Amino acid sequence: MDSTGARVEEPFDPEGVAFRGVSRRLTWVRLAGAGIFALLGVVVAVVLLVVLDTPWVLLVAGPGLLLAVLSAFLVPAQVRAIGYAEREEDLLVRRGVMFRSLTVVPYGRMQYVDVTAGPVDRALGLATVRLHTASAASDAVVPGLTTDAAALLRDRLTAAGQARLAGL
Amino acid sequence: MSLAPDAPDAPDAPDAPDAPDVPETAPARVPGAPRVPFTRLHPVSPLVRGWAALLVGLAVVLDGVVGSPVPGPDAGILGSLGIQVGGVFAVAVLVVLGNVLGWFFSRYSVDDTAVHLHSGVLSRTQRQARLDRLQAIDVVQPLIGRLVGLAELRIEVAGGADSQIRLRYLKDAEAHRLRNALLAAAAGVEYADGEEAPEAPEREVLQVPPGRLVAGTALTGTVLVLLLGATLLVTALVVTAFLPGVSAQMVLGPIVAIGPGAVIAIVFTVANSFAKSFAFRLAESPDGLRVRAGLTETRSTTVPPGRVQAVLVSQSWLWRRFDWWHVKVNIAGYAQSEGEQSTSAVLLPVGTRADVRALLALVVPGGAGPDGGQAGVDPAVLEAGLSGTGSARGFVTVPRRARWLDPFAWRRIGYAVTDRVLLARTGLLDRHLVVVPHERTQSVGLYQGPLQRRLGVVTVRLHSTPGPVGPLVPHLAADEGARLLREQGTRASAARAASGPERWMQRPVVPSSGSAAGVGLAPVEEPVDVVEGDGGPVQGAGGEEGVQVDGLRGDRRP
Repeated sequence: MDSTGARVEEPFDPEGVAFRGVSRRLTWVRLAGAGIFALLGVVVAVVLLVVLDTPWVLLVAGPGLLLAVLSAFLVPAQVRAIGYAEREEDLLVRRGVMFRSLTVVPYGRMQYVDVTAGPVDRALGLATVRLHTASAASDAVVPGLTTDAAALLRDRLTAAGQARLAGL
Repeated sequence: MSLAPDAPDAPDAPDAPDAPDVPETAPARVPGAPRVPFTRLHPVSPLVRGWAALLVGLAVVLDGVVGSPVPGPDAGILGSLGIQVGGVFAVAVLVVLGNVLGWFFSRYSVDDTAVHLHSGVLSRTQRQARLDRLQAIDVVQPLIGRLVGLAELRIEVAGGADSQIRLRYLKDAEAHRLRNALLAAAAGVEYADGEEAPEAPEREVLQVPPGRLVAGTALTGTVLVLLLGATLLVTALVVTAFLPGVSAQMVLGPIVAIGPGAVIAIVFTVANSFAKSFAFRLAESPDGLRVRAGLTETRSTTVPPGRVQAVLVSQSWLWRRFDWWHVKVNIAGYAQSEGEQSTSAVLLPVGTRADVRALLALVVPGGAGPDGGQAGVDPAVLEAGLSGTGSARGFVTVPRRARWLDPFAWRRIGYAVTDRVLLARTGLLDRHLVVVPHERTQSVGLYQGPLQRRLGVVTVRLHSTPGPVGPLVPHLAADEGARLLREQGTRASAARAASGPERWMQRPVVPSSGSAAGVGLAPVEEPVDVVEGDGGPVQGAGGEEGVQVDGLRGDRRP
C-alpha cells in the first residue's frame, strides 16, 4: 500500500495565491446557529423524559448532545479554513477541514451576486457574499465578511463580471 | 435595440412592450424580425387543455342520458345517481370554464428581441424570453392536439426555476412558422420585408429503428427486475405445487398484495420512456440539432448550436454485447423546467457507436485549433473513452492507491483533453463518458474527503448547468488534480474568448460545416458591435473578447 508518497504539490494551496481569511466572529454566528438547534434538542429530550418517563430517551439524546458539543469544537477550525482569493480572471474559494473543497469561478461566468445577512450576522456586523453562475454546483460562498468588506467585494465582483461577461 | 444593421433608424423602436393589451398600431416591420402583435392563443385551446375533464363529463352525461329513460322500481337510486352525474358534469364544466377564462386573459406577442406572454386571471403574469438567450424550442403535440391540428410551442431560455414560455396552443402550421421565425431571429438572420423565414434545410443524421428501441428498452434494469419477479413467482408456484405441507395461499398472499402495483408502476415507466423515444430521429440543420420523437405525444426539439453544455454517453452492462449507447445532455433551463429526468435531454435513446460519433461531431463545436478545427472528438480518443482502460490515447488515469476507494472501476477512471473538449471516463460495468466543451465549463472545483486525503487523491468536478450530466473525475492524484484545475481554467477562458456569438448565424461559417475558417476571427468581423450600440451585455462583451482573441490565440499557438 503505497499510501501518501511524496507530496509534490499541495492541491488546495495553489502556487502564488494568497488566500484571505474571513472574520473570526463568524465562529460565534455558527455557534449561535448550532446552539439554537442544540437547545431545541435539549428541550425536546427533557419533555420526552418527563412525558414518557423512561431513561431510554437519554440513549438517543446523550450521544446527540455529545456530537453537538464535539462539532462545536470543530467550528473555529472550519472558520479558519475558509479563505478566498481574487485573481485576475477568477475567484477562488476554499473551505473545509475534514472535507475540503476549492472552487474556481471565472468572473465571466458570474450571473449574479448575492449579499445576505441573518439576524446574528447583522448583530455582529457580518455578511455573506454568494456568487452565482449558471451552474447550481459552483458553490462560491464567502461567509463572515464584515459588512463593508462584503459590499466592496460585491462591487469588485460585479465590475469584474461586467468586463468579462460571456453567455452561458 | 434595432436588430438589423441595415435599418438602424427604424421608427418605433420596440423596446417598450409594456402596453399589454393594446395591439401595436402599424408595426413598422423591421426586416428579419418576426413581429406578432399581442394575440390570443387558439380559441380551441381551453378544450384541448381540459380535454380529459371534458371527456369524463361527456361520458357521464351520456351515461345519464342512456340510463335515465328506464324508470323502474328503484327510481330513488337513479335519482341519487342523477345528482352524482350532475356533480361530475358540473366539475368538468368548471374546469373547462377556468381554462376558457385563462385563455381569454392570456396573450402573446413577438417583437425584435423577445417573446412576451401575459397571462393570469386574478394575478397577472408578464413573462418575456429574450431571443438571444434562447436555449431550445420545442413543438409538442399531445395526442388530442394531433387530432385537432393544434400544437404547443415551448421556448426555453436559461433562467432560474421554470424559465419556459409555453404557448398552448397554436395551429400546427402557425407553431412551425413561429418557430422558424424565432430561430431565424435568434440566429441573427435577416429577411426582406414581408418575407417569411423558411424552415431551415436539414440533413438526417441518425434514427433509432423500432426494433432496437424495443430491445434496448427491454434490456434495462427495471425490466430485468420485472423478469426476476416473474421467475420467482413461477418457482414459488412450482415449489408449492410439489410440497404437500405448504399451501399456495401462503406464497401467493404477499405476491398478490404487492405484485400488481409494482408491475403496473414498472410497466408504466418503461412504456412511457418507450413512447417518448418512439420513432426517434435526429437531424442537423443550420438552426442546430433537430430531434423528433414520440408515439402518442410527438415532440420536435430544436437545439441551436453551442447550447449543449455537457454530454453523457453511457452504456449499461446489458447493452455491451450489442455495443449500444445512450446519450443525454445538459441544456440550460431544461432541468429546471422539466425535472432531472427530463426526456428532452436525451439525444440518443439507443444508438450504435457510429451514431455516438456522428452526434458528438454535431454537438462539439468545430473551429480554430492547431489541428485545423476538427469538429467532434478524435475517433481514437473517443474509442479509448468509450471502452478503453489505462492511459492509452492521452488519458490521465488515477494512481493505483485509488483502488482502496474504488476497487473495480479505478482502472477505467481517467480524463483526457482535446483541443475542444474534456473527456471524463468512469464506470467499469456500466460505462460512462462525459464530454464537456471547454467553453461550457462554468467553474471548476476540487474536493477531498478524509479518506482521499490519507491516500493523497482528490476529486475534480467541472460545474455544468443543472441537468442529468455532472462531470467529475474522482480520485486523481493530488498533483494531477491541481494541474487539471489550473489548466482547465486557462483552457476554458481561452475557448470562451474564441467561441462564436450567441446569435449563431452571425459567424461567417455555417456551424455544421465545421471548416477551418477561423471561428475565432468571427467576433472581429461580425457586425454585432455596430448593432447593439446600446450595450446589450452579451454583445458588448463579445466585442471586447474579440480584442482579446488574437492575443489568446497567439499565445495558444505554438
